[in-house]
Amino acid sequence: MASNAEQHHSGGHGHGQHAGMWVFPVREEITGDVAGKTFAMPSPYKLAMGIAAILTIVGVVGFFIRASSDGFGSPGPWGYYAGIFSFVFMVTGAAPLVAVAFRFTKSHWRRPLSRVSELFAMVGIVNIVLFIPLLLAMPPIKNPDVQGSDLEVRRTLWFEVPIGAPYTWDILCFVGLAFCSVFILWLSATPDMAQARATATGFRRSLYGALAGWWFGTKRQWNHQKAGLALLGAFYFMLLIFVQFIFITEFAMSMVPFWKDSVLPPMYTVMSFQTALSMILIVLFIMRRWGGYENYIGKAPFWSASKILLGLTLLWTYHLFAFFITYWYGRLEVEQNILKYLFTQPYLVVFLGNMLFSFFIPFALLIWNPLRRSDWGPPLAGLVALVGSLLFNLRTFAAAFNTGNHFEFALSHVPAAVWPDIWDICIILGGMGIVALVYLLSAKLFPPMSIWEVKEGTLYQKMDTLVKGEYLVLAKPE
Amino acid sequence: MARRPILGVFDSANSAADAGDGLRRAGIPEGDVDFLTDTPYPEGAFGEREEPHRLYIFPFLGALLGLTSGILLTSMTQVAYPIVTGGKPILSIPPMAVVCYEGTMLGAILFTVLGIVFESRLPKLKAGLYDNRITDGYIGVLVNTEETQHSEVEAAFGQAGAVDIKRE
Repeated sequence: MASNAEQHHSGGHGHGQHAGMWVFPVREEITGDVAGKTFAMPSPYKLAMGIAAILTIVGVVGFFIRASSDGFGSPGPWGYYAGIFSFVFMVTGAAPLVAVAFRFTKSHWRRPLSRVSELFAMVGIVNIVLFIPLLLAMPPIKNPDVQGSDLEVRRTLWFEVPIGAPYTWDILCFVGLAFCSVFILWLSATPDMAQARATATGFRRSLYGALAGWWFGTKRQWNHQKAGLALLGAFYFMLLIFVQFIFITEFAMSMVPFWKDSVLPPMYTVMSFQTALSMILIVLFIMRRWGGYENYIGKAPFWSASKILLGLTLLWTYHLFAFFITYWYGRLEVEQNILKYLFTQPYLVVFLGNMLFSFFIPFALLIWNPLRRSDWGPPLAGLVALVGSLLFNLRTFAAAFNTGNHFEFALSHVPAAVWPDIWDICIILGGMGIVALVYLLSAKLFPPMSIWEVKEGTLYQKMDTLVKGEYLVLAKPE
Repeated sequence: MARRPILGVFDSANSAADAGDGLRRAGIPEGDVDFLTDTPYPEGAFGEREEPHRLYIFPFLGALLGLTSGILLTSMTQVAYPIVTGGKPILSIPPMAVVCYEGTMLGAILFTVLGIVFESRLPKLKAGLYDNRITDGYIGVLVNTEETQHSEVEAAFGQAGAVDIKRE
């Protein structure tokens, strides 16, 4: 195990192709330095918050005009709202899981990205509010006006429609998810808030006192924190998969007559992992390049995460192909109509864009070793994957919400594409704006670097020499 | 005689571990000694006792309660409104699974949070003995013992090289 004295150096370490791969922050300075950065409000940060606030206002205006002009009586006008909500939920819902997963695997490189991912829990609270209009716009399960061969009860995953279905159970899903992720954030950030309470002033001092005044870093407290994070992390994973399954089934599959597909929920989940990791890498890159965190974030997190990102990109494509080939071989007219509707006819351009940005470009970027080892390559691939994911969600939900008769037995024709109008575009921009705004605000409330984990890393990592080379030595206490 | 805390502040983990050894030699019960750190040290790094916890019981109870509620809710709904769907039995498991799973998860999460709050004895209204240097990597050795033993504790701290000793 490295002694403290040996850790008193910072900056990039590694040689040759691994230059700058690992960094070793000075342990004694971490708390004060990160707290100082958290409390500071530089002009670029203010500018980013201003832009995010303007986008949020644009979205709110778009939402109210959409609501006042179209109401919630029919799902059609809310297709793009559902699309951007799904995009936001896909990215921000899975983001806290990144910290959870790599903490489980005890990866040392995950330390700088833990809090970056956990901070997305705050967006989870916004997700609950954003989800409510979708419940209002969702067509009822029971057909209020049965005509011809229409179904009396829409095909949903609620079967005999238990008490509270679908609204109560749907909203409970999102509340439970947000509750769990916020507690993960609280539990993880408590030691850091406790350490920063001495230097915090004003509102932050009161907040840290209220949330972390009880923390002194005893063995018992560390043990409870570790066990609590493990348990809540496991439950978050189990609940997230379930909520994603509920959401994509309820608001996409059940809306398109005869769309019965077991591959779509796992495909949605895989894409959420891909996009959440992408988003985290982008935030990490911004923090490293412009946020003053270059002494905390080496290239190692990008390098390690890039391989996982490549795997997820391939896995998403596999699922897409599995979905496509099942319907393509099915050859029933109703199945062909679904295929034409979602892939090859009205939304073909969006689908091709989705494929290009979700698979072809990220794959082409991530197969190159030098690019994977850079700090900009994986975030660039991630940014492209995010665009692909946005196209996927807009295509899927705009199509699902605009099939016309949701009580049809099967899709008897291929509906025309519905393209976004100006208010849809406002809503899309607003969806992205509100995420950025909430995240930027959260990063000023809670330290965006997991101080205790970075410090823990200094106990277990050091550079040492073997013959003439300098290499990273890692300790694995468990 | 009242039990009062006394805190020794050490600038290295080795000194803190030495203080722990000194306290054991002085006959201070292990349960009265706690190490305050700014980051989790691996189990046994200071030669301290293992800290068991009962946190796993809480989610288990919560999950059980949630699952039971889910089963009761869905089965009672199906019995109260018997609609045959797809020729399947009135009481069949697959349609109940969604609500049961959700109930189980929500119960487990809620009880885990309650467990954390309970096991951490929250809310704590009174601040404990602490030194802000611990946030910079110093190690605190907190002893909560009879005042008559404080002189022995101080001696052990002094021998191990405490940079500061604090009392409430």
